[in-house]
This record gives sequence, structure tokens and C-alpha cells, in this order.
Amino acid sequence: MAEDTLAFVFPAFIADYRDDPSGNMPEFRQIFLDYLGVAASVADPALLSFHAVSNPFLEDELRNQYLTYIYGCSCAETLRRSGIIPSVIAGYSMGIYAALYFSGSVSFETGLLFITTAYEAIRASLPNKHYGMCGVIGLSDKDIRELAGRNNLDLMIVNRNNDYSFILAGNSFHINVFLLKAREEGALHARSLGVTIPYHTNLLSEAARELSKTVYTADVRSPKIPVISVLRQDSIGDAERARTEVVKNIFNPFNWLETQQQIFNSGIHIFTECGPSLALKKNSKFIPGTGKFVSWDSLVSDDARFAST
Amino acid sequence: MAKITESTRNEVREIVFAFFAEECEADKSHITDNTNIIKDLDGDSLMFLELIEIFKKKYNLDIELKTIGKYAVKHPVETIGQLIEMQMLIIEHENRILELEK
Repeated sequence: MAEDTLAFVFPAFIADYRDDPSGNMPEFRQIFLDYLGVAASVADPALLSFHAVSNPFLEDELRNQYLTYIYGCSCAETLRRSGIIPSVIAGYSMGIYAALYFSGSVSFETGLLFITTAYEAIRASLPNKHYGMCGVIGLSDKDIRELAGRNNLDLMIVNRNNDYSFILAGNSFHINVFLLKAREEGALHARSLGVTIPYHTNLLSEAARELSKTVYTADVRSPKIPVISVLRQDSIGDAERARTEVVKNIFNPFNWLETQQQIFNSGIHIFTECGPSLALKKNSKFIPGTGKFVSWDSLVSDDARFAST
Repeated sequence: MAKITESTRNEVREIVFAFFAEECEADKSHITDNTNIIKDLDGDSLMFLELIEIFKKKYNLDIELKTIGKYAVKHPVETIGQLIEMQMLIIEHENRILELEK
């Protein structure tokens, strides 16, 4: 595959493993286990008990993030060892850590350190867990703002997936009221994301300051593969910018629609989602252009498989 | 108000069946009016949204998504057959679909 045609995108969380294509890929399995072992030794020993069916850690916010990171890195590494290298990378929300790792900007362990530090800093600054996030499909930006205003709901739109698909964050009571009102208003879909952290809001600015202490002392290098910022839709060109992006990412809204459009507009029309589900693929259908998503396992052709497997 | 002909109905059926066969990687011949969109096809609201957009463009419909959403709250769609019936009403009544309640 020509290098200038492909983008890797990394998801933020894993919702389920129903579409996980990795079951028939021993090369992925070995890489995943290797990364899992490292993560267990430096971040959380309990990760060794992970099982996609019996113990997937879907409800555990921190371990879900670790697993999403491990899976994304494993998936991208599997592709790399098959000779498939993207020309750009983007990380959806907390997918930034895997994106920076794969770009060569941080080590695998440093990515884990950022995830852990961010989570602990957030928990320290917002200990009561009275926050949440939700997704709403079928209402416009204007509909959402008017609905929140009419009901005095203190919520932020933190991401636009397409013109009728948004992510909001804020106080959990306000989220729950919003979900009820959104359905009454005619949302085709409105549901909680099941998290207790209001990612991408200024409620996390204090945590971001704490995170920055780690980020600005860590070994961060210039990405070797361009990483597109979901905050500004430009390329994260050097180490300083990578550091800034990691810190700003947790308390600033992002725009996935514009990020994908930017990648499309740069001439890259094939995306692959480095995760077990198809959430980002589904969102991409509403983005104007000729791009398409292909499943990551389909990129690993039989003749490109490792000699060792 | 658009007049629904047999031809329109057949066209809508064909589009809906083809859409879900492709989106859900299902054998079109296995999809029937009684096929449950979520349980049998693993469909979701983004697919529903995409299908609505297809029909809005094809029939140049004047209807807001939230109007369809409000209608769907009172008339939940679970099967392919129900979805086709709702789509026929949307094509016929557009934004006035909620007036059918009165």
C-alpha cells in the first residue's frame, strides 16, 4: 500500500469487543500480550487478568483507557511489522497517547505515565465523580444550545462528530436532564457515555496544570509521522507542541469532524481505526469526501504476515 | 403532500433492503419485513440517520431530523417493515408528519 494514502486513527475508549477482528491474528496477539505485560509491570498488575469476554474492564475508566492504548499500539505495531505505515495519525480524544507513541514522540511507558498521571490528577481535583459525558445524535448544534439554555443546563459541547452527532460533558445531573429533554426534543439517540470525568472541559484545567508537571519533564520528541491535532487540525510538528497538545487535550473541546475533513483535504482518503470497534468508522460516513474506512485486519494481507507466525 | 405510488413503495423497499445489507454486511435475501434492525442486524441510530439523509436527498424532502425523532418516540421503529412504513409517511407528509397525531 502506498504510504501517502493512509491514516491511522486511534479511539479514546473501548465500548465493546463485538467487532474485534484480532481473534484470528496470532501476530497481533503476541504483540498485545507483550504490551500488556509491560503495562502490568509499570502501571497496573491487574491488567494481566484482562480477558475480552470475561474481564474486559469496560466499566473501569482508567483500565479501559490502558486497554484502549494497549490495543491501539498493538494494532498499529502489527500493521507496521507488515510494512504498512500511515502518512498521518490522529487520536480521538484520549487516543492522543497511542497516536503520539506510534509517531515516535513518546515511549510506550511514557504514554502509560501520561494516562496514569492525567487520571490521578483529575481524580484529585474532582473527587466526587458528579460529572459525566453523553452523546446525542439527531439534533443540531443550535438545537442543543437552545435546549441547554432553556433548561439552565451547564454543559459543554466538547466534540462534533458530524453535523448531527455531538458529545457533551459536565455535571452528571445536568447530563441526565439533558438526555431526557433531548429525547423529547426529537434526538434519534441520546445516551450517557458511562464515564464520570468531564473530559475536554475547563473543569479539568487544574488537573491539566498537574499533568503538565509530568509532561514537561518527560522524554518527548518530535513525531516522526505527522500527528494531526484534534484541537486545531494542524500537524503537531515538534516535541514542544506535542507536550502542549497532551496538556491542552484534556481540558479543551475538540472537533473530530474538522480533523477528518482536514485529513481528507490533504489527499489521504483511506482510514483505518486502530481499535477493536468501529465507532470512528461509523462517524466518518457523514463527512463529505471520497474517503473510506477499511478494517485494520484487512490491511494485513496473508503474504505480508510475519515469518515467525 | 406527495402521492405515494406502488413504484415509490417498491423503490423505498429496495433502498432500505440494499442499505442494511451493505451496512450490516448481511445477506439481502435474509432480510425481511420482520427483521429486527438492532437485534438481528446490529443496526444503530447512525445508520438510521444516514438512511434518512439518503431519502431526504432522493425525494428532496422538507423535514427536520428532530421531527422524525419526535415521531419515532411515539412510534418506535424496531423492524425493517416498520422502518419502511415510517419512511413512506415521511415522504408523504414531510414536516407535517406530527400532525398525523392530532
